[in-house]
Amino acid sequence: MIAHGWALLVLGTIVGLDLVSFPQMMLARPIVAGTLAGLVLGDVGAGLRLGVLFELFQFDILPVGATRYPEYGPATVVAVGAAQAFALPFGLGLATLVGLFTAMIGGVSLQILRRLNTRAVTVAGPALERGDVGALVRLHFAGAGRDLLRGALVTTIGLVLVAITREFVVPALSHRGERLLSVAATSAALAAGAAGTLRLVGLGTHLKWLAAGLVGGIVVAWLV
Amino acid sequence: MARVRLGAAFLRLFTVQASWNYERLIGVGTGFVAEPLLRGLAPDRYRAALGRASRYFNAHPYLSGAGAGALARAEMDGVPVEQIERLRGALAGPLGSIGDRLVWAGWLPTLSALTLAAVTWGGGATAVAVFFIVYNAGHVALRWWALRAGWHYGPRVAAALQEPWIRRAGQVLGPATALALGFALPMVVQWSGDAFRGWPRITLAVAAAVAFGLLRWRPDILSGLRLGLVLVVIALVAGVLWP
Repeated sequence: MIAHGWALLVLGTIVGLDLVSFPQMMLARPIVAGTLAGLVLGDVGAGLRLGVLFELFQFDILPVGATRYPEYGPATVVAVGAAQAFALPFGLGLATLVGLFTAMIGGVSLQILRRLNTRAVTVAGPALERGDVGALVRLHFAGAGRDLLRGALVTTIGLVLVAITREFVVPALSHRGERLLSVAATSAALAAGAAGTLRLVGLGTHLKWLAAGLVGGIVVAWLV
Repeated sequence: MARVRLGAAFLRLFTVQASWNYERLIGVGTGFVAEPLLRGLAPDRYRAALGRASRYFNAHPYLSGAGAGALARAEMDGVPVEQIERLRGALAGPLGSIGDRLVWAGWLPTLSALTLAAVTWGGGATAVAVFFIVYNAGHVALRWWALRAGWHYGPRVAAALQEPWIRRAGQVLGPATALALGFALPMVVQWSGDAFRGWPRITLAVAAAVAFGLLRWRPDILSGLRLGLVLVVIALVAGVLWP
Protein backbone atom coordinates (compact mmCIF):
# COMPACT_ATOMS: atom_id res chain seq x y z
CA MET A 1 0.00 0.00 0.00
CA ILE A 2 2.79 2.42 0.94
CA ALA A 3 4.71 1.49 -2.23
CA HIS A 4 1.56 2.19 -4.22
CA GLY A 5 1.23 5.55 -2.47
CA TRP A 6 4.75 6.53 -3.50
CA ALA A 7 4.14 5.33 -7.06
CA LEU A 8 0.96 7.41 -7.26
CA LEU A 9 2.81 10.41 -5.85
CA VAL A 10 5.47 10.13 -8.55
CA LEU A 11 2.84 9.63 -11.25
CA GLY A 12 0.71 12.54 -9.99
CA THR A 13 3.79 14.79 -9.96
CA ILE A 14 4.75 13.86 -13.54
CA VAL A 15 1.16 14.33 -14.68
CA GLY A 16 1.02 17.71 -12.92
CA LEU A 17 4.22 18.83 -14.63
CA ASP A 18 2.95 17.69 -18.02
CA LEU A 19 -0.12 19.94 -17.95
CA VAL A 20 1.76 23.19 -18.54
CA SER A 21 5.53 23.02 -18.02
CA PHE A 22 6.90 19.88 -19.66
CA PRO A 23 6.31 18.20 -22.12
CA GLN A 24 2.54 18.80 -22.68
CA MET A 25 2.11 15.35 -24.23
CA MET A 26 -1.33 14.84 -22.65
CA LEU A 27 -0.12 12.60 -19.84
CA ALA A 28 -2.26 15.02 -17.83
CA ARG A 29 -5.35 14.10 -19.83
CA PRO A 30 -7.61 12.15 -17.42
CA ILE A 31 -8.06 9.19 -19.75
CA VAL A 32 -4.25 8.78 -19.94
CA ALA A 33 -3.55 9.60 -16.27
CA GLY A 34 -6.32 7.25 -15.11
CA THR A 35 -5.07 4.38 -17.27
CA LEU A 36 -1.51 4.87 -16.04
CA ALA A 37 -2.70 4.94 -12.42
CA GLY A 38 -4.70 1.77 -13.08
CA LEU A 39 -1.60 0.10 -14.51
CA VAL A 40 0.45 1.16 -11.47
CA LEU A 41 -2.15 -0.29 -9.10
CA GLY A 42 -2.84 -3.40 -11.18
CA ASP A 43 -6.46 -2.37 -11.78
CA VAL A 44 -6.70 -1.03 -15.32
CA GLY A 45 -10.50 -1.35 -15.24
CA ALA A 46 -10.84 1.18 -12.41
CA GLY A 47 -8.31 3.43 -14.13
CA LEU A 48 -10.29 3.41 -17.36
CA ARG A 49 -13.66 3.92 -15.64
CA LEU A 50 -12.43 6.94 -13.66
CA GLY A 51 -10.38 8.12 -16.64
CA VAL A 52 -13.53 8.25 -18.78
CA LEU A 53 -15.49 9.96 -16.01
CA PHE A 54 -12.90 12.71 -15.47
CA GLU A 55 -12.35 13.05 -19.22
CA LEU A 56 -16.03 14.06 -19.40
CA PHE A 57 -15.39 16.72 -16.76
CA GLN A 58 -12.37 17.81 -18.82
CA PHE A 59 -14.64 18.44 -21.83
CA ASP A 60 -16.04 21.34 -19.82
CA ILE A 61 -12.69 23.15 -20.12
CA LEU A 62 -10.99 24.94 -22.99
CA PRO A 63 -7.53 25.80 -21.59
CA VAL A 64 -6.90 28.95 -23.61
CA GLY A 65 -4.61 31.77 -22.49
CA ALA A 66 -4.82 32.81 -18.86
CA THR A 67 -8.16 31.13 -18.13
CA ARG A 68 -8.66 29.56 -14.71
CA TYR A 69 -9.54 25.89 -14.72
CA PRO A 70 -9.46 22.87 -12.43
CA GLU A 71 -6.63 20.39 -12.84
CA TYR A 72 -8.00 16.94 -13.57
CA GLY A 73 -4.72 15.02 -14.20
CA PRO A 74 -3.40 14.49 -10.65
CA ALA A 75 -7.05 14.42 -9.53
CA THR A 76 -7.67 11.34 -11.69
CA VAL A 77 -4.54 9.65 -10.34
CA VAL A 78 -5.74 10.31 -6.78
CA ALA A 79 -9.27 9.13 -7.60
CA VAL A 80 -7.99 5.81 -8.98
CA GLY A 81 -5.92 5.39 -5.80
CA ALA A 82 -9.04 6.19 -3.77
CA ALA A 83 -11.15 3.62 -5.61
CA GLN A 84 -8.64 0.95 -4.73
CA ALA A 85 -8.15 2.12 -1.14
CA PHE A 86 -11.89 2.21 -0.42
CA ALA A 87 -12.48 -1.24 -1.92
CA LEU A 88 -16.23 -0.61 -2.13
CA PRO A 89 -18.53 -2.28 -4.68
CA PHE A 90 -19.69 1.21 -5.77
CA GLY A 91 -16.56 3.10 -4.72
CA LEU A 92 -16.50 5.19 -7.89
CA GLY A 93 -18.67 7.94 -6.39
CA LEU A 94 -16.60 8.48 -3.28
CA ALA A 95 -13.39 8.30 -5.34
CA THR A 96 -14.83 10.98 -7.64
CA LEU A 97 -15.60 13.20 -4.66
CA VAL A 98 -11.96 13.05 -3.54
CA GLY A 99 -10.84 13.58 -7.13
CA LEU A 100 -13.03 16.65 -7.60
CA PHE A 101 -11.66 18.25 -4.43
CA THR A 102 -8.13 17.49 -5.64
CA ALA A 103 -8.97 19.05 -9.03
CA MET A 104 -10.17 22.20 -7.29
CA ILE A 105 -7.00 22.40 -5.19
CA GLY A 106 -4.95 21.81 -8.35
CA GLY A 107 -6.69 24.73 -10.07
CA VAL A 108 -5.99 27.05 -7.15
CA SER A 109 -2.36 25.90 -7.05
CA LEU A 110 -1.95 26.87 -10.72
CA GLN A 111 -3.00 30.43 -9.91
CA ILE A 112 -0.53 30.58 -7.02
CA LEU A 113 2.22 29.22 -9.27
CA ARG A 114 1.53 31.87 -11.90
CA ARG A 115 1.67 34.62 -9.26
CA LEU A 116 4.97 33.26 -7.90
CA ASN A 117 6.38 33.16 -11.43
CA THR A 118 5.21 36.73 -12.02
CA ARG A 119 6.97 37.91 -8.85
CA ALA A 120 10.19 36.14 -9.91
CA VAL A 121 10.01 37.67 -13.40
CA THR A 122 9.49 41.15 -11.95
CA VAL A 123 12.56 40.74 -9.74
CA ALA A 124 14.64 39.41 -12.65
CA GLY A 125 13.30 42.02 -15.10
CA PRO A 126 16.46 44.20 -15.30
CA ALA A 127 18.71 41.15 -15.81
CA LEU A 128 16.38 39.86 -18.55
CA GLU A 129 16.45 43.23 -20.29
CA ARG A 130 20.25 43.16 -20.21
CA GLY A 131 20.16 39.80 -22.01
CA ASP A 132 21.67 37.91 -19.07
CA VAL A 133 21.43 34.30 -20.28
CA GLY A 134 22.17 32.91 -16.80
CA ALA A 135 19.25 34.81 -15.28
CA LEU A 136 16.98 33.67 -18.11
CA VAL A 137 17.86 29.98 -17.70
CA ARG A 138 17.61 30.14 -13.88
CA LEU A 139 14.23 31.85 -14.07
CA HIS A 140 12.88 29.35 -16.57
CA PHE A 141 14.06 26.26 -14.68
CA ALA A 142 12.90 27.72 -11.38
CA GLY A 143 9.42 27.95 -12.89
CA ALA A 144 9.58 24.28 -13.90
CA GLY A 145 10.87 23.39 -10.43
CA ARG A 146 7.99 25.22 -8.77
CA ASP A 147 5.54 23.38 -11.01
CA LEU A 148 7.15 20.05 -10.10
CA LEU A 149 6.73 20.84 -6.40
CA ARG A 150 3.18 22.02 -7.06
CA GLY A 151 2.28 18.73 -8.75
CA ALA A 152 3.79 16.78 -5.84
CA LEU A 153 1.96 18.90 -3.27
CA VAL A 154 -1.43 18.61 -5.00
CA THR A 155 -1.04 14.83 -5.29
CA THR A 156 0.05 14.56 -1.66
CA ILE A 157 -2.96 16.55 -0.48
CA GLY A 158 -5.18 14.32 -2.62
CA LEU A 159 -3.67 11.16 -1.12
CA VAL A 160 -4.11 12.58 2.40
CA LEU A 161 -7.77 13.22 1.53
CA VAL A 162 -8.02 9.57 0.46
CA ALA A 163 -6.67 8.42 3.84
CA ILE A 164 -9.02 10.73 5.79
CA THR A 165 -12.02 9.65 3.72
CA ARG A 166 -11.19 5.97 4.18
CA GLU A 167 -10.85 6.44 7.92
CA PHE A 168 -13.92 8.57 8.63
CA VAL A 169 -16.36 8.51 5.70
CA VAL A 170 -16.24 4.96 4.32
CA PRO A 171 -17.38 3.32 7.60
CA ALA A 172 -20.31 5.75 7.88
CA LEU A 173 -21.58 5.20 4.36
CA SER A 174 -24.47 2.81 3.72
CA HIS A 175 -24.55 0.53 0.70
CA ARG A 176 -27.44 2.59 -0.67
CA GLY A 177 -25.41 5.74 -0.06
CA GLU A 178 -22.50 4.32 -2.03
CA ARG A 179 -24.74 3.80 -5.02
CA LEU A 180 -26.28 7.25 -4.64
CA LEU A 181 -22.79 8.77 -4.69
CA SER A 182 -21.92 6.86 -7.85
CA VAL A 183 -25.13 8.02 -9.49
CA ALA A 184 -24.41 11.65 -8.54
CA ALA A 185 -20.79 11.48 -9.80
CA THR A 186 -21.74 9.81 -13.07
CA SER A 187 -24.66 12.15 -13.77
CA ALA A 188 -22.50 15.22 -13.10
CA ALA A 189 -19.78 13.89 -15.42
CA LEU A 190 -22.26 13.12 -18.21
CA ALA A 191 -23.86 16.56 -17.85
CA ALA A 192 -20.46 18.30 -17.85
CA GLY A 193 -19.36 16.30 -20.90
CA ALA A 194 -22.55 17.07 -22.82
CA ALA A 195 -22.55 20.77 -21.87
CA GLY A 196 -18.85 21.10 -22.74
CA THR A 197 -19.45 19.41 -26.08
CA LEU A 198 -22.29 21.75 -26.97
CA ARG A 199 -20.23 24.79 -25.94
CA LEU A 200 -17.27 23.63 -28.05
CA VAL A 201 -19.33 22.79 -31.12
CA GLY A 202 -21.60 25.82 -30.78
CA LEU A 203 -25.02 26.33 -32.26
CA GLY A 204 -23.71 27.30 -35.71
CA THR A 205 -22.73 25.39 -38.81
CA HIS A 206 -21.20 22.40 -37.00
CA LEU A 207 -24.36 21.54 -35.10
CA LYS A 208 -25.54 19.30 -37.96
CA TRP A 209 -22.31 17.30 -37.68
CA LEU A 210 -22.89 16.89 -33.96
CA ALA A 211 -26.43 15.69 -34.68
CA ALA A 212 -25.12 13.22 -37.29
CA GLY A 213 -22.58 11.93 -34.79
CA LEU A 214 -25.27 11.54 -32.13
CA VAL A 215 -27.44 9.51 -34.50
CA GLY A 216 -24.48 7.30 -35.41
CA GLY A 217 -23.49 6.87 -31.76
CA ILE A 218 -27.04 5.99 -30.72
CA VAL A 219 -27.31 3.39 -33.50
CA VAL A 220 -23.96 1.81 -32.62
CA ALA A 221 -24.72 1.86 -28.88
CA TRP A 222 -28.09 0.22 -29.55
CA LEU A 223 -26.60 -2.44 -31.83
CA VAL A 224 -23.77 -3.24 -29.40
CA MET B 1 25.89 24.16 -36.75
CA ALA B 2 22.56 25.78 -37.65
CA ARG B 3 20.86 22.36 -37.53
CA VAL B 4 22.28 21.64 -34.06
CA ARG B 5 21.01 25.01 -32.81
CA LEU B 6 17.62 24.40 -34.40
CA GLY B 7 17.54 20.98 -32.71
CA ALA B 8 18.39 22.54 -29.35
CA ALA B 9 15.66 25.15 -29.81
CA PHE B 10 13.21 22.37 -30.74
CA LEU B 11 13.95 20.43 -27.54
CA ARG B 12 13.56 23.61 -25.49
CA LEU B 13 10.15 24.18 -27.08
CA PHE B 14 8.70 21.41 -24.93
CA THR B 15 9.31 23.60 -21.86
CA VAL B 16 8.12 26.88 -23.40
CA GLN B 17 5.41 27.42 -20.77
CA ALA B 18 7.53 26.43 -17.74
CA SER B 19 7.88 30.03 -16.57
CA TRP B 20 4.35 31.18 -17.61
CA ASN B 21 3.52 34.39 -15.73
CA TYR B 22 1.04 37.28 -15.86
CA GLU B 23 3.69 39.87 -16.77
CA ARG B 24 5.29 38.37 -19.89
CA LEU B 25 3.08 35.27 -20.40
CA ILE B 26 5.35 32.90 -22.41
CA GLY B 27 7.92 35.63 -23.16
CA VAL B 28 10.60 34.17 -20.89
CA GLY B 29 10.01 30.72 -22.43
CA THR B 30 10.25 32.20 -25.92
CA GLY B 31 13.59 33.78 -25.02
CA PHE B 32 14.75 30.42 -23.66
CA VAL B 33 13.77 28.70 -26.93
CA ALA B 34 15.30 31.39 -29.15
CA GLU B 35 18.59 31.55 -27.23
CA PRO B 36 20.46 28.78 -29.17
CA LEU B 37 19.40 30.40 -32.45
CA LEU B 38 20.95 33.72 -31.42
CA ARG B 39 24.39 32.32 -30.56
CA GLY B 40 25.87 33.30 -33.92
CA LEU B 41 25.54 37.00 -33.08
CA ALA B 42 28.35 39.17 -31.72
CA PRO B 43 28.21 39.37 -27.85
CA ASP B 44 26.64 42.86 -27.71
CA ARG B 45 24.00 42.09 -30.30
CA TYR B 46 23.40 38.64 -28.73
CA ARG B 47 22.57 40.16 -25.33
CA ALA B 48 20.37 42.87 -26.82
CA ALA B 49 18.53 40.30 -28.96
CA LEU B 50 18.08 37.92 -26.01
CA GLY B 51 16.69 40.76 -23.90
CA ARG B 52 14.13 41.51 -26.60
CA ALA B 53 13.28 37.83 -27.18
CA SER B 54 12.34 37.44 -23.49
CA ARG B 55 9.77 40.25 -23.46
CA TYR B 56 5.99 39.84 -23.43
CA PHE B 57 4.80 37.25 -25.90
CA ASN B 58 1.83 34.97 -26.22
CA ALA B 59 1.02 32.08 -28.53
CA HIS B 60 -0.37 28.59 -28.48
CA PRO B 61 2.48 26.50 -27.02
CA TYR B 62 2.65 24.15 -30.02
CA LEU B 63 2.94 27.10 -32.44
CA SER B 64 5.15 29.29 -30.25
CA GLY B 65 8.18 27.98 -32.16
CA ALA B 66 7.04 30.02 -35.16
CA GLY B 67 7.33 33.15 -33.02
CA ALA B 68 10.66 32.19 -31.45
CA GLY B 69 12.11 31.16 -34.83
CA ALA B 70 10.86 34.24 -36.67
CA LEU B 71 12.09 36.67 -34.00
CA ALA B 72 15.49 34.95 -33.87
CA ARG B 73 15.80 34.99 -37.66
CA ALA B 74 14.90 38.67 -37.73
CA GLU B 75 17.65 39.38 -35.17
CA MET B 76 20.16 37.34 -37.17
CA ASP B 77 19.24 39.19 -40.36
CA GLY B 78 19.73 42.57 -38.69
CA VAL B 79 16.11 43.68 -39.06
CA PRO B 80 15.52 47.07 -37.36
CA VAL B 81 14.44 46.83 -33.71
CA GLU B 82 11.14 48.67 -34.29
CA GLN B 83 10.20 46.13 -36.95
CA ILE B 84 11.05 43.22 -34.64
CA GLU B 85 8.83 44.68 -31.91
CA ARG B 86 6.01 45.11 -34.42
CA LEU B 87 6.49 41.49 -35.53
CA ARG B 88 6.24 40.29 -31.93
CA GLY B 89 2.99 42.16 -31.45
CA ALA B 90 1.55 41.02 -34.76
CA LEU B 91 2.32 37.32 -34.24
CA ALA B 92 0.81 36.85 -30.78
CA GLY B 93 -2.85 36.94 -31.85
CA PRO B 94 -2.75 34.60 -34.88
CA LEU B 95 -0.41 32.07 -33.25
CA GLY B 96 -2.82 31.86 -30.32
CA SER B 97 -6.07 31.66 -32.23
CA ILE B 98 -4.85 29.25 -34.92
CA GLY B 99 -3.38 26.92 -32.29
CA ASP B 100 -6.47 27.04 -30.11
CA ARG B 101 -8.69 26.26 -33.08
CA LEU B 102 -6.52 23.49 -34.52
CA VAL B 103 -5.39 21.80 -31.31
CA TRP B 104 -7.47 22.62 -28.21
CA ALA B 105 -10.77 22.80 -30.11
CA GLY B 106 -9.93 20.33 -32.90
CA TRP B 107 -7.22 17.68 -32.82
CA LEU B 108 -7.40 17.04 -29.05
CA PRO B 109 -11.18 16.74 -28.49
CA THR B 110 -11.57 14.71 -31.70
CA LEU B 111 -9.04 12.11 -30.61
CA SER B 112 -10.26 12.21 -27.03
CA ALA B 113 -13.86 11.53 -28.14
CA LEU B 114 -12.78 8.69 -30.42
CA THR B 115 -10.76 7.22 -27.54
CA LEU B 116 -13.75 7.36 -25.20
CA ALA B 117 -15.84 5.61 -27.85
CA ALA B 118 -13.13 2.97 -28.31
CA VAL B 119 -12.84 2.39 -24.56
CA THR B 120 -16.60 1.89 -24.22
CA TRP B 121 -16.35 -0.55 -27.10
CA GLY B 122 -13.81 -2.64 -25.21
CA GLY B 123 -10.64 -1.07 -26.59
CA GLY B 124 -9.18 -0.85 -23.07
CA ALA B 125 -5.68 0.45 -22.43
CA THR B 126 -4.74 -0.17 -26.08
CA ALA B 127 -7.18 2.54 -27.18
CA VAL B 128 -5.53 4.96 -24.74
CA ALA B 129 -2.06 4.02 -26.01
CA VAL B 130 -3.19 4.65 -29.60
CA PHE B 131 -4.58 8.05 -28.53
CA PHE B 132 -1.26 8.95 -26.91
CA ILE B 133 0.80 7.96 -29.96
CA VAL B 134 -1.45 9.50 -32.62
CA TYR B 135 -2.02 12.72 -30.69
CA ASN B 136 1.68 13.21 -30.08
CA ALA B 137 2.62 12.40 -33.67
CA GLY B 138 0.55 15.45 -34.64
CA HIS B 139 1.75 17.46 -31.66
CA VAL B 140 5.48 16.94 -32.26
CA ALA B 141 5.11 17.44 -36.03
CA LEU B 142 3.26 20.72 -35.46
CA ARG B 143 5.94 22.01 -33.06
CA TRP B 144 8.71 21.12 -35.54
CA TRP B 145 6.86 22.65 -38.50
CA ALA B 146 6.21 25.88 -36.57
CA LEU B 147 9.83 26.30 -35.48
CA ARG B 148 11.17 25.57 -38.95
CA ALA B 149 8.64 27.88 -40.58
CA GLY B 150 9.54 30.70 -38.20
CA TRP B 151 13.27 30.21 -38.72
CA HIS B 152 12.90 29.88 -42.49
CA TYR B 153 10.51 32.79 -43.13
CA GLY B 154 11.67 35.19 -40.40
CA PRO B 155 9.66 38.44 -40.52
CA ARG B 156 7.57 36.99 -43.39
CA VAL B 157 6.33 34.12 -41.18
CA ALA B 158 2.72 35.23 -41.70
CA ALA B 159 3.04 33.61 -45.15
CA ALA B 160 3.59 30.23 -43.49
CA LEU B 161 0.46 30.69 -41.41
CA GLN B 162 -1.52 31.09 -44.63
CA GLU B 163 -0.34 27.78 -46.11
CA PRO B 164 -3.26 25.82 -47.59
CA TRP B 165 -2.92 22.88 -45.18
CA ILE B 166 -3.68 25.11 -42.20
CA ARG B 167 -6.87 26.37 -43.80
CA ARG B 168 -7.85 22.85 -44.86
CA ALA B 169 -7.11 21.44 -41.40
CA GLY B 170 -9.35 24.09 -39.87
CA GLN B 171 -12.13 23.26 -42.34
CA VAL B 172 -11.88 19.51 -41.71
CA LEU B 173 -11.34 19.56 -37.95
CA GLY B 174 -14.45 21.61 -37.12
CA PRO B 175 -16.96 19.09 -38.51
CA ALA B 176 -14.76 16.12 -37.52
CA THR B 177 -14.69 17.27 -33.89
CA ALA B 178 -18.46 17.73 -33.78
CA LEU B 179 -19.00 14.34 -35.43
CA ALA B 180 -16.61 12.51 -33.09
CA LEU B 181 -18.03 14.13 -29.96
CA GLY B 182 -21.57 13.40 -31.07
CA PHE B 183 -20.66 9.79 -31.81
CA ALA B 184 -18.90 9.25 -28.47
CA LEU B 185 -21.54 10.75 -26.17
CA PRO B 186 -24.31 8.11 -26.56
CA MET B 187 -21.77 5.32 -26.26
CA VAL B 188 -20.37 6.79 -23.04
CA VAL B 189 -23.89 7.34 -21.69
CA GLN B 190 -24.79 3.71 -22.33
CA TRP B 191 -21.49 2.42 -20.91
CA SER B 192 -21.88 4.53 -17.77
CA GLY B 193 -25.53 3.57 -17.34
CA ASP B 194 -24.78 -0.16 -17.63
CA ALA B 195 -23.29 -0.07 -14.12
CA PHE B 196 -26.73 0.71 -12.63
CA ARG B 197 -30.04 -1.12 -12.49
CA GLY B 198 -33.47 -0.13 -11.13
CA TRP B 199 -33.90 3.16 -9.22
CA PRO B 200 -30.22 4.23 -9.58
CA ARG B 201 -30.51 4.07 -13.34
CA ILE B 202 -33.67 6.21 -13.42
CA THR B 203 -32.11 8.65 -10.93
CA LEU B 204 -29.00 8.83 -13.11
CA ALA B 205 -31.00 9.76 -16.21
CA VAL B 206 -33.06 12.41 -14.38
CA ALA B 207 -30.06 13.88 -12.51
CA ALA B 208 -27.91 14.03 -15.66
CA ALA B 209 -30.71 15.78 -17.60
CA VAL B 210 -31.34 18.31 -14.81
CA ALA B 211 -27.60 18.91 -14.34
CA PHE B 212 -27.15 19.45 -18.09
CA GLY B 213 -30.04 21.94 -18.06
CA LEU B 214 -28.48 23.81 -15.12
CA LEU B 215 -25.09 23.99 -16.85
CA ARG B 216 -26.71 25.36 -20.00
CA TRP B 217 -28.92 27.77 -18.03
CA ARG B 218 -26.28 29.35 -15.80
CA PRO B 219 -22.83 28.84 -17.36
CA ASP B 220 -21.78 32.13 -15.75
CA ILE B 221 -21.91 30.68 -12.24
CA LEU B 222 -21.95 26.91 -12.76
CA SER B 223 -19.06 24.83 -14.07
CA GLY B 224 -18.76 21.06 -14.35
CA LEU B 225 -16.54 21.03 -11.27
CA ARG B 226 -18.88 23.11 -9.11
CA LEU B 227 -21.94 21.17 -10.15
CA GLY B 228 -20.11 17.87 -9.62
CA LEU B 229 -19.00 18.88 -6.14
CA VAL B 230 -22.49 20.06 -5.15
CA LEU B 231 -24.17 16.91 -6.45
CA VAL B 232 -21.66 14.52 -4.90
CA VAL B 233 -21.65 16.30 -1.52
CA ILE B 234 -25.48 16.24 -1.42
CA ALA B 235 -25.35 12.53 -2.28
CA LEU B 236 -22.74 11.98 0.44
CA VAL B 237 -24.89 13.63 3.10
CA ALA B 238 -27.93 11.67 1.92
CA GLY B 239 -25.85 8.50 1.83
CA VAL B 240 -24.70 8.92 5.43
CA LEU B 241 -28.19 9.81 6.72
CA TRP B 242 -30.05 7.21 4.62
CA PRO B 243 -29.44 3.77 6.16
